[in-house]
Amino acid sequence: MINLAQKDVQHTLGKFLVTAMGVGMLLGIVLIMIGVYRGMIIDAQVLLDDIGADVWVVQEDTLGPFAEASRVHEDLRDTVRVIDGVKSAEALTFQNIQLPQKPSPVRVVAVGFDPFGTVNPVSSKRMVAGRGLMRSHYEMVVTDKTGYHVGDVIRLLRHDYHVVGVTHGTVSSGGEPLIYVSLKDAQELQFSYSNNRIRTDRARGIEGAEGHMVNAIVARVKPGYSIDEVAKNIETTLHKGVFTATQERTLLTQNLIKMASKQIGMFTGILVVVSTIIIALIIYTMTLEKIKEIAIMKLVGIPNSMIVKMIAQETLLLGVLAFIFANLFSHLIYSKFPKRVVLEIPDAWMLFAVVIVASLLASLAGIKKVISADPQAAIGG
Amino acid sequence: MAGKAGIRVENLYKHFGKGDTLVRVIEGASFEVNKGELVALIAPSGAGKTTLLMMIGCVEEPTSGTIWLGDEKVYEDKWLTKETRKIRREKIGFIFQAHYLIPFLNVIENVTLVPQTNGVSEAEANKIAMELLEYFDIGDKARSMPSALSGGQNQRVAIARALANKPQIILADEPTAALDSKRSVDVVKMLKKIAIEQNVAVIMVTHDEAMLPLCDRILKIEDKKVVSEPVPKEGVAIL
Ligand SMILES: Nc1ncnc2c1ncn2[C@@H]1O[C@H](COP(=O)(O)OP(=O)(O)O)[C@@H](O)[C@H]1O
Ligand SMILES: [Mg+2]
Repeated sequence: MINLAQKDVQHTLGKFLVTAMGVGMLLGIVLIMIGVYRGMIIDAQVLLDDIGADVWVVQEDTLGPFAEASRVHEDLRDTVRVIDGVKSAEALTFQNIQLPQKPSPVRVVAVGFDPFGTVNPVSSKRMVAGRGLMRSHYEMVVTDKTGYHVGDVIRLLRHDYHVVGVTHGTVSSGGEPLIYVSLKDAQELQFSYSNNRIRTDRARGIEGAEGHMVNAIVARVKPGYSIDEVAKNIETTLHKGVFTATQERTLLTQNLIKMASKQIGMFTGILVVVSTIIIALIIYTMTLEKIKEIAIMKLVGIPNSMIVKMIAQETLLLGVLAFIFANLFSHLIYSKFPKRVVLEIPDAWMLFAVVIVASLLASLAGIKKVISADPQAAIGG
Repeated sequence: MAGKAGIRVENLYKHFGKGDTLVRVIEGASFEVNKGELVALIAPSGAGKTTLLMMIGCVEEPTSGTIWLGDEKVYEDKWLTKETRKIRREKIGFIFQAHYLIPFLNVIENVTLVPQTNGVSEAEANKIAMELLEYFDIGDKARSMPSALSGGQNQRVAIARALANKPQIILADEPTAALDSKRSVDVVKMLKKIAIEQNVAVIMVTHDEAMLPLCDRILKIEDKKVVSEPVPKEGVAIL
């Protein structure tokens, strides 16, 4: 049996392919958007993974240190260390600062930690050049996206920081590039950037606790102890906010998933609708262009089912081709995006299912036209 | 072969519209066309020739009356089958002024589409089609697209298409109107030959008086009825 759809597509191949490519680009953007979302979720957890703590201790009644601001005294570290089941504890700071990079300054999150402590957030597997922090002052590890290299000197406040190492793919939970400095430097930066009153207080000799604040204490649990129980223990003993690594992960991603998935979901929905409308319009115009031939087919006795099949097959083919172009397109361009884009195969298959349903919907307008076409219309009076 | 009549029409009426816009096109037409006969249908423009052809072709529904196609009564005040399209593709070959070939199918696909829809195998349909195309001297064009053929060649393809389902009836609506006089004579002679060889009832609408001597009989729509006319002597009107 002659496949009418195949013959018709062959006859208008160029137009068909160009349309498929156009729709494919739209769908490719859908894939990229889903990829951006996946990337955000992964980004959100990079630092958490690199720190590798079992328990997070933060300011009471806060969801710190990432979801909410949290400030605790660094001495809390020593208190946590002696709690039963705690193997080690360290103090960490996280703060937004700007690196004076040319041509434009770059906004980063600085992670402060004790270079001689038991927690090293600079993951060796993410190092691409140089080394980690080895002194307690004026060394810095930066992520490659900052544009700095080993040996560069960055002046922050009154001090020159030497870049001793470069990492790749390290970002804050919000996707900003990370730099790493010693806890002492971080505290000084944090203090000096904070408000004038404290600074003038200090100039008058009034020493507050400001210079010794950190954002979180992280702890590791001894083997044989349950993380949940140790966390509970810390909470009842110290009356601080305490989260296990799992809880902290949920805090970080939950909000993000809620916000981002809604936003990306809406963009995706709109793009899919636009793609469907474009497919529908193209199929509709292709049907209108053939309406005379369709009328003749009906006149000589070709059943509606055959003509409807032709339209539906053409629409499906357009959808499938567009889907293939979408994947080619998204794989070609995803690495050029400034943020992490993660293309996952299950996402592509989901889009495929959506495209098939959308194509079938899109064919309806054309099919309706076919069914209502008057066989005598073609031959006129 | 039971019965001589390929087409029998009795007391056929066709009105368009209602009330103020009512148009009475055919009022009580009765006639027969035998198998093996080429009959010309003539009348001034707007008299209802196409409408009559489309009613016989089970495309346009009459208002009342009876239509027989061969042994089958297809209409008696209503269609006697739901599937008028099946009757069309199995019993009737249509030819028009324009060829109306499907532009995205090549010549042989155009010719075999209806037989294949009827369930004839592709090989068998191709064989029949090739015979027809060769008969019409366009066997070498079987794989060409209609756009690559001349108007005369395409009209011959259209006739081959009308014959490919081995119809009992051929309805030709001004098939020669777009052709020069030599080609017109060729086409009408061809229709005559088909009528005899395939024992088909052929009705041909024409405005070209020169074609009339080639036909077996002439029917005319007059006062909304169908009447017979004598066939003029051959050679009189042909230049
Ligand atoms: N669908 C229709 N609705 C109303 N009037 C129609 C319709 N089709 C044809 N007619 C009328 O029927 C008459 C016969 O038309 P037609 O059969 O095309 O004539 P012919 O083929 O002899 O030129 C004309 O007056 C035309 O206006
Ligand atoms: Mg007419």
